[in-house]
Amino acid sequence: MTYAALALGLSLAASLVGGAAQAAGASDSDSERDARWKEIATSIFKDRAIQPTETLVKVEAPKRAEDAALVPITLTMPEKDKIKAVHLVIDDNPSPYAAHFSFGPAADPGELKLRVRVNNYTNVHAVAETKDGGLFEATKFVKASGGCSAPMGMSDEEAMKGMGDMRMKFAGEAQPGKPVEATLMIRHPNFSGMQMNQLTRDYTPARYINKLTVDYGTKNVFVMDGDISIASNPVINFAFLPEGKGPIKVTATDNQGGRWEHSFTAPTASN
Amino acid sequence: MRVLARMAAGALALVALAAATPADSPVNVPEPDGLWTGPQRGYTPATLEGATVIDGKRLAAMMPDKPVLLDVVVADRKPANFPADRPWLPTHRSIPGAVWMPGAGVAPLAPEREALFFRRVEELTGGDTSKAIVTFCRPECWGSWNAGRRLALRGYSNVHWFPEGVEGWQDDHDTAVVKPDPAWAALAPIEPER
Repeated sequence: MTYAALALGLSLAASLVGGAAQAAGASDSDSERDARWKEIATSIFKDRAIQPTETLVKVEAPKRAEDAALVPITLTMPEKDKIKAVHLVIDDNPSPYAAHFSFGPAADPGELKLRVRVNNYTNVHAVAETKDGGLFEATKFVKASGGCSAPMGMSDEEAMKGMGDMRMKFAGEAQPGKPVEATLMIRHPNFSGMQMNQLTRDYTPARYINKLTVDYGTKNVFVMDGDISIASNPVINFAFLPEGKGPIKVTATDNQGGRWEHSFTAPTASN
Repeated sequence: MRVLARMAAGALALVALAAATPADSPVNVPEPDGLWTGPQRGYTPATLEGATVIDGKRLAAMMPDKPVLLDVVVADRKPANFPADRPWLPTHRSIPGAVWMPGAGVAPLAPEREALFFRRVEELTGGDTSKAIVTFCRPECWGSWNAGRRLALRGYSNVHWFPEGVEGWQDDHDTAVVKPDPAWAALAPIEPER
C-alpha cells in the first residue's frame, strides 16, 4: 500500500516520499471498497458466509442524492416467504451499520423504505437473512456527501419539539390475503452526534431511535434496531398481513431513555 | 448537501455562471486579514492572496507533475455517547496521493501543531519553496483556505487552493482511502472542529 510506504518513509528523504505517494490508481479504488466491506461484514456477521444475490434482496437508491441527510432507500425482497431479517449497511459512514429489521409473523417483508444519512460517496449494502440462516448481499453505489454532520437548520429545542409523535398512513383497502402497505412517520431529530450547533459551535449529543417495534394485535410485524445513520424524523414504509386483530402498536425507544407508544387502527379485510 | 447551500441553491446557480473562479459562495466573501478564525464551515472567498485558486480540471492537469497534495479535512468526530457495542469505523477517502493532516486548517493552531505543519510541508517539498502545493478539504470549508494562506505567508511561492475539495474531485476521478499523516496523528489530541 503506497500510503504505508509514505508513513514509513517519514524519516527518510522527502523526495522519496513525494514520489511514492502518487501511485494509487483506478483498480485500487474498487479493491479498497471491497476491503472496507469485508471489514464491516466481519464486525457485524463475524465469520458467517455472505453470498451475493440477484433475487433475494435488491437495494434501490438515487445514484446522486439531492440531500445527503435524507437519502431514500428501498429494499425489495421478492421471495418474501424466505426472509427472516434484513440488514442495511452504508459502507463509508463512520457508523456503517444503519439498521437491522427482523420480521415477525404479521409482516409482509416484500418491500421496506426508509431515509438515511450518507457521509460520502459509498456502497450501500443490504444483507437479507433467510429463515434457514443464510446471508445474501446486494449493493448499490450512492453519490452523496456530508449527510452525517449536516445541521438541521434549526435550534436543538425546535428540532426536539413534539419528539415521539407518530402518524401512520395506510394505502388502499384491506383485502383478504393481500398485504397492506403502511407508512410510519415519527417525529424525532435522530441527532447523529456529529452535527455542530452553528451558533454555540458545540456538538449536539447523539440522540437516535435505537429500537422500534411494530405489532399487529399479538403478532409482531417487525423490530428495527436503528442507528445515527437514519435520517431525522424517520419515515418507514412497510407492509403487513391484514389477518390480525386489534390495533397496530408502535413502540419506539431512543438511546437517551426516551420511550413512546402509539396505537393505530388498522384497516381490516371484510369478507 | 449543507443547509447553507440548500438555502442558497438559486443564488448559487446564478453566481456559478458569473464567477471566473471555481468559488462555491453565493455571496461575495472578502478575504480576512491573515487567517480565518471563525467556524470551519461556511462560505469562502473566491480568491486567496499569494496563491492560485484552481478547479478540478486544472488540478487533473497538474497531477502528472506530482504536486504536494495537502488534505486538511477535519476527522469524523465520534459522538461522546456513542454506544460501545456498535461498530465505529471512520474512514476517509481523498485525492490519491494526498497527505492528510486532519484539522490543519484550524486557526488558531496550537504552536507545536503549527510548527509540525510547517515541518511536514518542508519535508514533503524537500525544502523547495517553489514546489507546487495544493491545499483542499471540502466545499464551504475554510480549512484549506487557511492552510494555503499559512503557506503563502510562510514564503511558499507556488501554492494552489482547490476549494471544491474531495467532493469536487470524486465527481470525475477515483478517490483513495487515506489515513492521517502519522507524524500529525502522533501529536494527539486533534482539536475538534470549531
